[in-house]
Amino acid sequence: MEQQVTVAIIEDHPVVTEGVASWIRSDPGQRVRLVLTARDLTGLQSGQGPSADVVILDLELSGELVTAQIPGLVADGYRVVAFSGHSEPTIVMETLDNGAHAYVSKEEGRDHLVEAVLAAATDRPYVTRSQARAMLADQRPDRPTLSQQEQQALLLWFQGMTKASVGRRMSISENTVRQYISRARAKYAATGRTAQSKDALLARAIEDGVIKPGEIVPYQSFARAAANRPSLGAPGQ
Amino acid sequence: MTAIQPTATMAGRYQRAFTIAVVVLVAGWHLVGGGGQLLDYRSAYGSFAFQCAMWLVMALAITAGSLLVLRGTPSWRAAWAVALVALVASTAAAAASPASEMLAVNWAWGSAGWTGVLVLLRRRFSELAWFLAAEALATLGVQVWDGLTRTDLAGFLAVLAWSTGAQVAVAAGVRALDLAAGQAATAARSEDAARERAATAEIIRAARHARWLSLQGSAAPLVAELAAGTADPGDAQVRIRCAVQAARLRRLLAEGDEVPGSLVHELHASADVAERRGVAVEIETAGPLPAVPGPARRVITDAAIAILTDARSQARITLAAVAAGIAVSFVADTGAVVQLPSAGAGVAIEHQQDGGMLWAEARWNSR
Repeated sequence: MEQQVTVAIIEDHPVVTEGVASWIRSDPGQRVRLVLTARDLTGLQSGQGPSADVVILDLELSGELVTAQIPGLVADGYRVVAFSGHSEPTIVMETLDNGAHAYVSKEEGRDHLVEAVLAAATDRPYVTRSQARAMLADQRPDRPTLSQQEQQALLLWFQGMTKASVGRRMSISENTVRQYISRARAKYAATGRTAQSKDALLARAIEDGVIKPGEIVPYQSFARAAANRPSLGAPGQ
Repeated sequence: MTAIQPTATMAGRYQRAFTIAVVVLVAGWHLVGGGGQLLDYRSAYGSFAFQCAMWLVMALAITAGSLLVLRGTPSWRAAWAVALVALVASTAAAAASPASEMLAVNWAWGSAGWTGVLVLLRRRFSELAWFLAAEALATLGVQVWDGLTRTDLAGFLAVLAWSTGAQVAVAAGVRALDLAAGQAATAARSEDAARERAATAEIIRAARHARWLSLQGSAAPLVAELAAGTADPGDAQVRIRCAVQAARLRRLLAEGDEVPGSLVHELHASADVAERRGVAVEIETAGPLPAVPGPARRVITDAAIAILTDARSQARITLAAVAAGIAVSFVADTGAVVQLPSAGAGVAIEHQQDGGMLWAEARWNSR
């Protein structure tokens, strides 16, 4: 990537902010640049357009859950990666439904947060194990239908296998494992409330060949995503 | 173990027996008592044919009433329909009898009263009282119409005391028996429950004993060897044996606790030992987990103990609800291949080794 992805950290515990900043600094490729840290959301609401490509958002700020603020951030043009100690499946699903690109639990931060930020910057899905768990545990009647292969790949990934091991177990390539998991995630982007981030995820998934337009249940979402496509360029543009 | 008989069924069986007794009594009364009286005085009636017709109407009412009560407590409509037919038939029969000999030749009063007892037996007691009063008043009314003498009144009161008294006594008796049957059934049930509790306590005691025995065969010799100095704690083999026994002890203790989601609980107990050795163990669940029966839980926790004992620094245990069962998986840096316990009790175990990482999955299927 020729240009760095800019990121903002919204986190009320300075020590966590410091930790996240150090993960970003220690990225060998220096692919991410930290441009803003804040203890609440007021710093982002400048009305001047997004001040960073991606926001790393702690879901609990000063003792309050801020999942309901995600649609506002998304509408302002931010891509949101939730970074939280709340790994309950219902909260994870609500976070994704509100338009967050990815969910990373505090335990997964070191290994996954920078990668999740990079994936979000290009509107690509990034499914952590805790997110796979929430998708497997999803009992909502309007949840998308996952194929058996998608379900199995998600399950093995949640169980703790590397994607290469999942591939060996399922006798498929590691790349196909990624495809299955991404397709499951894309199906979720096509359900629930509408958000431009979800449309962008879907449009990118179609462009990458992860999912075919016919595999998306509510067809309107795809249509809107396609219509919005020109305005959603690569990060930094 | 004795099967507990539902109280309702038992009490219901007694009640049915009382109902049948009342049906036999009422039918017998109408056939022998009422029918006999009718035949005895056949020359005394103005129209024997009319009396016979009323007797048949009464017989039909009794048949209908019997069918109703044998099917359960009749509704008030059905019960009162039968009772009113009996009342009307008996009043008509009384009115058609010769005035001077009315009480002597009247077969109908008794039969009508018994029919009322039959259909109103298990309804409110006041309903039967109202019916018997109406029946008596109807008969008295016929007598007054015919011209009531002092002798007639004395006769009326005598029959009233004898016949209605017997009817009320039978109805009250059945009521008391119903109550007693209910109490007897409740007593029998609590006796059964006590027996069941004792049997359960015996099973729990036997399970505890079995656990104790299994420790005698595995943990006790190890402790003895350690105490005697024949087993060297510095020996890696001995340390592994100690870790396995510690995990078993913990699992056995956890097995006793009847907590919801006890498989998770038992796995936590197994993980505890590994954590003391410095292995980082994480346990995660996904979805609503089904209850897993004891033998299957034991196969799964045995696999957990085997894997956790060999884990070097980290292990991840997950429990996920899958179609018709549960998938419990383990990912651990065991290095070499672990000797996994054999599958069984509806649990299938699969594993895959990738370099130093072991993945194993124990899948229990409820079908």
